[in-house]
Amino acid sequence: MPYIVAVDIGGTFTDLAACDLETGQLRLAKCPTTYGDFGKGIFECFAKADIAPRDTELVKHGTTLVINALLQRSGARTALLTTRGFRDVLEIGRGNRTQPFDLRFRRDPPLIARDLRLELDERIGPDGQVRKPLDDGELDAVADRLKAAGIEALAISFINAYANPAHEQRTAKRLAELLPGVYISTASELSREWFEFERTATVAANAFVGPQTSSYVRKFEGDLRSGGFEGSLLLMGSHGGVMAASRAEHEPIALVESGPVGGSIGAAAYAQPLGFANLIAFDMGGTTAKCALIENGQYAVESTYYVGGFLRGFPIRGNVIDIVEVGAGGGSIAAVDSQRRMNVGPRSAGSTPGPVCYGKGGVEPTVTDANLVLGRLNAEQFLGGEMRLDEAGARRAIADRLAVPLGLSGSDSETRAAQGVVTIANLTMTEAIKQISIARGLDPRDFALFCYGGGGPLHAAELARELSIPHVVVPPEPGNFSALGMLLANARLDTVRTLLADLDTGSLASLSTMFAEVERTSRDALLHEFGIGAVGFERRVEMRYKGQKHSLRIALPEALEPLVLRAQFDTAYQHRYGHSRPGAAVEIVGVLSTASLDIRRPKLSDLAIARGKSGKSGPAGTRQVYFLETGGYLETAIHVRAHLPVGFSSHGPAVIEEYGSTTLVGPRDTFSIGSLGEIHIDCSK
Amino acid sequence: MTAPNDPGSASACPGPTLAVDPLTVEVIRRRLVSISDQVDLNITRTAYSPLVYEYKDYAVGVVDAQGRLLSQCTSGMPLFVADVLGAAVRDGLEIYGRDGLHEGDIVITNHGGTIGQHLNNVVMYTPVFDPQTRELAAFFLVTLHWLDVGGRVVGSLSKYATDIFQEGIQFHTVKLRSRGEPVAEIYRMIRANTRFPEEVMGDIDAQIGGCLMGRDRLAELIGRYGLATFRASISCIWDQSEAVARAAIAAIPDGTYDASAFLDNDGLNAGERIPLSVKVIISGDSMTFDLSALPLERASTMNAGRSGGGQSVARLAFRYLLIPFEDANEGSYRPLDLVLPEGTVMSAGPNAAKGHYNLALPTLIDLVIRALGTAVPDKAAAGHYATFSTIRFVGKQPGSGALFQCSDSGFGGWGALCDADGPGPFRTMCHGDTRSIPIEVQEASYPIEIDSYAIRTDSGGAGQFRGGPGLSKSYRVQVPCMLFSTFDRTECPPWGLNYGLEALPGAVTIQGPDGKISSALKENVQLAAGTRVVVETGGGGGFGDPRLRDPQRIEADVRLGYISRESAEQVYGLRLDEKP
Repeated sequence: MPYIVAVDIGGTFTDLAACDLETGQLRLAKCPTTYGDFGKGIFECFAKADIAPRDTELVKHGTTLVINALLQRSGARTALLTTRGFRDVLEIGRGNRTQPFDLRFRRDPPLIARDLRLELDERIGPDGQVRKPLDDGELDAVADRLKAAGIEALAISFINAYANPAHEQRTAKRLAELLPGVYISTASELSREWFEFERTATVAANAFVGPQTSSYVRKFEGDLRSGGFEGSLLLMGSHGGVMAASRAEHEPIALVESGPVGGSIGAAAYAQPLGFANLIAFDMGGTTAKCALIENGQYAVESTYYVGGFLRGFPIRGNVIDIVEVGAGGGSIAAVDSQRRMNVGPRSAGSTPGPVCYGKGGVEPTVTDANLVLGRLNAEQFLGGEMRLDEAGARRAIADRLAVPLGLSGSDSETRAAQGVVTIANLTMTEAIKQISIARGLDPRDFALFCYGGGGPLHAAELARELSIPHVVVPPEPGNFSALGMLLANARLDTVRTLLADLDTGSLASLSTMFAEVERTSRDALLHEFGIGAVGFERRVEMRYKGQKHSLRIALPEALEPLVLRAQFDTAYQHRYGHSRPGAAVEIVGVLSTASLDIRRPKLSDLAIARGKSGKSGPAGTRQVYFLETGGYLETAIHVRAHLPVGFSSHGPAVIEEYGSTTLVGPRDTFSIGSLGEIHIDCSK
Repeated sequence: MTAPNDPGSASACPGPTLAVDPLTVEVIRRRLVSISDQVDLNITRTAYSPLVYEYKDYAVGVVDAQGRLLSQCTSGMPLFVADVLGAAVRDGLEIYGRDGLHEGDIVITNHGGTIGQHLNNVVMYTPVFDPQTRELAAFFLVTLHWLDVGGRVVGSLSKYATDIFQEGIQFHTVKLRSRGEPVAEIYRMIRANTRFPEEVMGDIDAQIGGCLMGRDRLAELIGRYGLATFRASISCIWDQSEAVARAAIAAIPDGTYDASAFLDNDGLNAGERIPLSVKVIISGDSMTFDLSALPLERASTMNAGRSGGGQSVARLAFRYLLIPFEDANEGSYRPLDLVLPEGTVMSAGPNAAKGHYNLALPTLIDLVIRALGTAVPDKAAAGHYATFSTIRFVGKQPGSGALFQCSDSGFGGWGALCDADGPGPFRTMCHGDTRSIPIEVQEASYPIEIDSYAIRTDSGGAGQFRGGPGLSKSYRVQVPCMLFSTFDRTECPPWGLNYGLEALPGAVTIQGPDGKISSALKENVQLAAGTRVVVETGGGGGFGDPRLRDPQRIEADVRLGYISRESAEQVYGLRLDEKP
């Protein structure tokens, strides 16, 4: 006592990780997610971990509540108010078809139907000047219509409000008076960037999930308090920092990737103590694999995120950790088409029915089934033995549904088909890693692969060899790493503003003014939300060659000289795209300010689970495991992770088993246990 | 992933060639698509012209050493999925010979007689050599629309051109880089022949960057598996795609199917309709496109060459109808035959003007779908708005006096399907992942105000399933400027299928500051400051008899304003309650 607690509500399980700030002791718990009342699952976790809310100083909460409400369209009855002539912007979108040859292609319908999209006479110009003033009388009339429509939430988005939000603000203020109890949100308080559709879609989504999220946060906080909790409740933001509960109620859209960011935060926290400036954080779960880059100890944040995916979903503007996600996980289904082409994923057997080997009614072979057939998973020790896997069933499904249609025959046909499943799944995952590294001008060989999630450590060494990455790190508790990462999150507030100007001394002066203004606001907000503390700032500027659309973010140098900034931009551009245009004009497009405030966090050394001191650190046994690299089965040492002491080292082929995850070490690899309890795999030879 | 497996008992494609493990084939197939897609992404991010980064008027592809298509990026311009890339490379091989192409060479061509499209479409490519044997293995290509290549008007697309020489400069297969070194003479020629040298040079850099990145990744792939395995895998991929295509064709009843429509005019001669008709012959598992009834090439800008015109129509229509989710490659197109004599508007000679080569393309693709609609109604759709609906404002910026060009284009409705309302508004069937330009960007960049941007009521054709709606957008120009518009299909509106009704066609209405109103479908007109231009795009046709439409859907359409009360009562025959 006292504790810092992180809770992560996932699709299947609610995870809890807690750290005793005095003793450093770590506690973990996992309970089924309780739909309808998420709080129930959380308090079950508290009980299972034997922690009382009154002994807790900080609760950090990650949740899929927001993304689920958006994907399932289960938000509030929401209306949209726009500038006259533009209520259809939300529905028209950008008009692009991401599947070019599909006559049936259509996007997901807008969150707000046309009859709940109202218009108002007002207009701001692109320079921020008022072209047509707002009419208070019309606001009263609009309020009557909205009242009659029985709405619970209202989104307000006016054209060019990024340049001047005054009309939006006045409208929101007046309507809040006229429509008590309605959740009201303006686009300009969420984003001050141009692009009307993206901003409008963002505020529509924010209002849509607003009432539900704020009542959830309030109820959960109330339940904590009635359990004697006197600390702070913080919500995990998509940008990788935590935010005060009050801000989360106001900007629930900032929680859209609240769950998956935990792992990235954790990876960034481990980077420096382990002596790695650059890591690729890699997370493989049941349905998808995700990866993110940690460069110089920091993860990157992107300003556009697609709810429901890029193909058919809609964008939101916000700051979301840059994560590439692909449809390859343990539950990904393998199938063969009429042309004997084998495909793996993105269709997934999920957790129900799950892989064939779960014996819960799954009939289509999955990546997990293939791993089992290849001896890479232990049928007896899955989830610490809580679940026994049906190896014969997996083998049969792979034979009937893959080997036969592929035309494979002979005694090794199942093995070859299973090996094909793993090969293709690995291929999909290496493409994701290439997308986040090579496609961004970075060489994966300059990174270490940091993997977690149920399946990450099982595939990591192979992915690393494929990409010539020399080093793999598996942190403690890879199966619980998202919650563990949240324990390490700091408070953070990101602000993005559009500022379009040629790069010269004058514009750099405006830039400084804008940063100073934004930082003042952020500091006040953080101090208001978190009490006292030292607020640190980072300044980044968005730049591009004049005439381009896409920009690059550059850290603002100390010396605010046009030539210095210019040279840094050329270098960054060259690095990213392989060519640059030192003769061309450069312009500034916007600023990104990051404010952060240190809050109490556990020490990494506390997170290394206390190891068994039995001294019994040799392999627990051996079994036959198939390795893609050698194309055959090898007699392989099986280790129990909890028995391996710090400093232990050995060589592959080896399997290291623990609750919730399995690490595979290739025949040419060596491995060791580091001082923070992490596994290092050396794949360089 | 390991070294290729022992071929063993199962080869994906047995035959005289090297047998390859089916899983190795799959790995190579996916890698090829992923290389093109990653290059695609980088071009979007480094391009200078909105035609590239928003409109996506470009494509990325790989062909083999003989110009046969291996793979293309997923989201580029479908129009380039045609044989344009292969045609460019075959021309280059004929001119230089295999021995005349070296590592580091970058070749460009926009030659009207080879590419058959407007001169702005410049194909750029670089040879890819096997790292082990140094043998020529493939070419990596990026085709991209250059903002201006000279000619009579800004942007090079004049309504009045009557031959290709009035439309700008032609680069007939010339090296932009030779063995890695820039060829300064060509750069000087390009710079001297465009009105937007900065933007064009920027886009060229993006195009070169894409070619080189693609080349390096492709060489890495070939080096890893060896050229023999790579080639055997490609041959297998083609066979697989061919088999999928043949199976799809074989499912259509044998027969001859045809359909006709017409364009308003050729762009120059108002009142002279241009009849278009297509004939499709299905015989077993092959498909013949007979376009021989098309009119002869015109002394106007609507002509396209065989590769950029007729061939594109056949290939695009085929993909829309039968293999929408297959990757495009040479094998997919093996079952297709094209009957098209020289000298028509879709097989025009090298010197015919081609500025608006795309005028007839969306309609022709749609006609193929219409022709086969009776045979495969579950795969077909009613007609879409089928016209590029481009609109360009050209003038001088009020402060600096710099030339500006605001290119915009209409997004319109798509045809209803046998079981669903038509989608949209989207761009035409010739476009892919093309995005509209945000109003806030237009207002901040050009002296133009936009007063509204809305879904156009009643524009989708009525039917049991309604056509997708068109749009209405209203601009007000703040300075004097020129307006260039290209709208068609107003006299032959987007058709319905299976008793569905036709859609409303597009319209461009100009309202001068003096209140005078005029129409401008295909015009080059001078606008006074304060002029309002209202652009309305067509909808998609309906599918099925409107009187069979679910009354609840009709009521919802009225409530949401997609259709008016009048049309609900008069066209759909629904009696609505008197409540407002």
